[in-house]
Amino acid sequence: MVKHMKGTSNKREILGTLVCTSDEMSSLEDILSSNQCPSAAITSKGTDVTPNRDSGVCKIVKQHGVEGEKPMIGDKVCVHYTGRLLNGKKFDSSLDRKEPFVFNLGKGQVIKAWDIGVCSMQKGEVCLLLCKPEYAYGSSGSPPKVPPNATLVFEIELLSFRGEELTEDGGIVRRIKVKGEGYNNPNDGATVHVHLQGWCGGCLFESRDVTFVVGESVEAGIQLGVDRAMEKMQKGECCLLYLKPKYGYGKDGKPEYNIGSNAELLYEVTLKDFKKSKESWEMDLEEKLERADLVKQKGTQYFKAGRYSHAVIQYQQIVTWLEMECGSGTEQLQAIQSLLLVAHLNLGLCCLRLREYSQTVENCNKVMELDPDNEKALYRRGEARLLRNEFSMALEDFRQVLQVNPCNRAARSQIAVCQRKIREHNERDKIIYANMFQRFAEHDAKVVKLKRKKEDSGHSDQNKQSLKRPCLSEDGP
Amino acid sequence: MALEQLTDVVQRCQVIKDESFPPEDYDLFLTAGRTCIEQGDGAQVLSILVDEKNKKIVRCMGWNLLGPLIQILLKKEDKNLPHCHAILSHLLEVSSPKELLIGLLEQVEDADSSSIADTVTILLKPLQTVLLRMGVKKSSSVGMALSTLLSQVIRLPVPVTKEQEEDDVFGLCRCCTALLEFVKPFVLEIKDNNRLSKGNELRVELLKFCMKSLSEPLLEVLLKDPNTLQKSPLREFASEILVILSNIGESLPDLLSRNILKRKEVPGFLEEEVRYPKESLACMSHLLFVHHIGMDIFPAVLSPVFILQCNMEYVELLLSRTEESRLQKGLELYEKTLVRVEDNSLPVDLLELKIFFSVPQNLVKVMTLCPDQTLRTKGLKVFQLSIDKFSTEAKYKFFRGMLKTSHHAGVEGYLIKNIKNQIDFSLKPCNGNDWFLGKHLLPLLRLVLCLPQGPETDLLQNLDRIMESLNLLRYMLIRDKEWENETGIWTELYKIEDNYLKPLRTDLNMSKAHYEAELKSTIDNKKLSSKDSKTPTCTVTVGNEKLPNMSPEMQIQVLQSALFTFDLIESVLARIEEIIEAKDRPLP
Repeated sequence: MVKHMKGTSNKREILGTLVCTSDEMSSLEDILSSNQCPSAAITSKGTDVTPNRDSGVCKIVKQHGVEGEKPMIGDKVCVHYTGRLLNGKKFDSSLDRKEPFVFNLGKGQVIKAWDIGVCSMQKGEVCLLLCKPEYAYGSSGSPPKVPPNATLVFEIELLSFRGEELTEDGGIVRRIKVKGEGYNNPNDGATVHVHLQGWCGGCLFESRDVTFVVGESVEAGIQLGVDRAMEKMQKGECCLLYLKPKYGYGKDGKPEYNIGSNAELLYEVTLKDFKKSKESWEMDLEEKLERADLVKQKGTQYFKAGRYSHAVIQYQQIVTWLEMECGSGTEQLQAIQSLLLVAHLNLGLCCLRLREYSQTVENCNKVMELDPDNEKALYRRGEARLLRNEFSMALEDFRQVLQVNPCNRAARSQIAVCQRKIREHNERDKIIYANMFQRFAEHDAKVVKLKRKKEDSGHSDQNKQSLKRPCLSEDGP
Repeated sequence: MALEQLTDVVQRCQVIKDESFPPEDYDLFLTAGRTCIEQGDGAQVLSILVDEKNKKIVRCMGWNLLGPLIQILLKKEDKNLPHCHAILSHLLEVSSPKELLIGLLEQVEDADSSSIADTVTILLKPLQTVLLRMGVKKSSSVGMALSTLLSQVIRLPVPVTKEQEEDDVFGLCRCCTALLEFVKPFVLEIKDNNRLSKGNELRVELLKFCMKSLSEPLLEVLLKDPNTLQKSPLREFASEILVILSNIGESLPDLLSRNILKRKEVPGFLEEEVRYPKESLACMSHLLFVHHIGMDIFPAVLSPVFILQCNMEYVELLLSRTEESRLQKGLELYEKTLVRVEDNSLPVDLLELKIFFSVPQNLVKVMTLCPDQTLRTKGLKVFQLSIDKFSTEAKYKFFRGMLKTSHHAGVEGYLIKNIKNQIDFSLKPCNGNDWFLGKHLLPLLRLVLCLPQGPETDLLQNLDRIMESLNLLRYMLIRDKEWENETGIWTELYKIEDNYLKPLRTDLNMSKAHYEAELKSTIDNKKLSSKDSKTPTCTVTVGNEKLPNMSPEMQIQVLQSALFTFDLIESVLARIEEIIEAKDRPLP
């Protein structure tokens, strides 16, 4: 919402809304104040947009939008609206709140009339929507604003819409063509039956029915993006997935399919059926330990094949299952701890390969909670820190490695690397500072001259400070 | 004397060029200043402080005088008061804001429980002045001030009755009102300059303040509705907190749904938890949907089912607690959320969500274990309401699930009564459905018409369940004629006889024989013991506490009432057996 307010193009739209609504409002009021029954007036002029043609939602377009640009199910849509009762009383308006209303379309988040009505709108369109109570708040009403059995009239402007981002980084965007049923989603480890078609740059490169296990889909040649989307899909759903390279074939591309390096992919996926695997809370500890062992092997297998993101999914499962367990008896506790230790250790390594250094550090820290002198964890944390340019902390880590195991040659050479880096860094600092001081000196000289002329000292102080600041911030601790 | 000392120190310090005053002068300044103020020489101190020559000294040392000044201000009756006020406002203007802030917050922290309200109300304005003087770099200071203030304010007792809120003896209401006044300029700063980016520090501090206020004190407060108490400072506080949230760019519908729309298990989710504690959001939801506070800024286009889904999270949180105030709020929130939904409308798919079973489980706990009678009754009412809202298929699935998991005869009895009502409804013309008639009904009946431990089942403990299930069976056999057999009961009857009625008969006979024997021996014992006075009595313990020994008379009473109960079961059972026999007999 905030983003929308900030974008300049959207700002224009919002302003546009204000202008046109003040225009439209008169026409809405015309209808409401005319002698004719308002609902009859809208019904006679408007079109019935309900799927079963029961005139439950009638629409009059007040201003046409961009042809062909319609939102799809699941899209995040952004609207401005004003809602009135048939007697003309305004019960709600996003304009009064000066904030557009954002929701996911077609997901039952809003009253039925809206899911149906907004779905039929085009970008930029302004329309009146007459909603019978069965498509609004029915016999219960919506206290305190909407009385029971109320027919509502909304004026809606569709400002913008975009596909639903399934990941934080926006690497998987979904738009739903056919809504699935129920509230159940496949989880990691679930077996899914899907039909999928993949395009790259408008060229269809694959089209097939396939069955795979979520989280292990790479064995069936499924893209990470498709795999990750599964846990957000429902049975029967058909959706489009827009994948960034990271979730597709990445920088290697796929020459057999004529897919170059860093290509974005488009998939159409239908989830025909699935069988969930047990959730963590459905398993007892014995079962979890048994499954964790298998999952660990899978993870190692993926790691060896260089499929680090996939390995992460496997190892992460172990953590989810066992993190909160403490077992009964020392034997179980040991089993849990050794599995967790391996999982975190390997997660650390995977993240290192994936260049997620802060996660490497986090996972290594987890290992050291269990085993403070773990050589590998110390070494990996050192590596991650070195790559994050935290030289002295890295140095500390490698030194600790040597304390644990004095014969670790790799650590010894890493220490040398650290020391060299620190030296280089200091050299660079020196140059920067040297320049800086030289500049200061020159500047001061100039200032002195000026001062003599103008006798203005306060001004020079300020200047000096503003010069100093950027240099200092460049090389943090 | 002290005045002379003060003048001395000040004169000595006047000549020091930069601000490197010796530490012993700080001490001297403080002790002398304190004594002067306490002795009522406020006017003289003021004249020293306002002297332009002493500006530097006041800037560095002035804040030291805050402590003694506040003490005078708190006492109120002192004739010195106007001077002290003048000194304070001078200090606020001249002294270094950072030190003033620390000095003032120290005073807030040191307030003992009887003077919290006064201290807070007196110091809020000065604190605000100081913070505003800090300019753009005040965010973390504002945060520190707010958290210090709130942690003191929540120590105040929460008014319970309308009169207590009106009288406001302990001052919670006053403090809340003052806090709103205090944060106003900071909120305006965010709102007017549109500094709504997620990371803006001042915004984050205000968000923390709102979230903390929602969880404490607001979650503790039972607000009065406007008819009972027209002007309620606490209601005003609650409503303002929601307005502030919206003004600092937190959309209320987004907050409401954040738990169901943003379930991510990514690293850093803990931070999210901290920033948006579920308890605070639960309180917000309660304010919105139970008190309709903040509804004027809440969109009226969300679907009732979506709101229900969001609120289930909060209902679960509130009902999983044991404090009665939480339980009450949980019940109210669940009730008001359900009322928005049409009867028979909730689709069966919803039961795929774990929470639609975990909330009823919590509700059962309230209904059966809560010590408060009104809450138990209310729990039952809400439980029934939630059943009414499910579609027919969902009711069916819900009953099956609950029968398997509730483990409480009373609750099971209640569910069975509901099943009977559904069957009754379904047998009426035009109400036929697949779930409470015919092939789906039978698996449900098998869960109802059974004895948990076979013939060894404790009939007294399972009485509610057994009576309701027998009533159900009798009803069906009478209502659904054999030649219609809409429910399918007549085809299932031979199995029911084998699996339920016969074991029940055995159980009944054994139990009766056992209790009759007990009764007889107790009566005999009583006769014996009346002869020699050593009365062997049985002991009863409840929750590890031994109840007073039962007298033989009481024992006899208990045993007799058990036997009456068996008679009751037997009479219904006999009636059922009669109906079945009539069926087997060829028609005359």
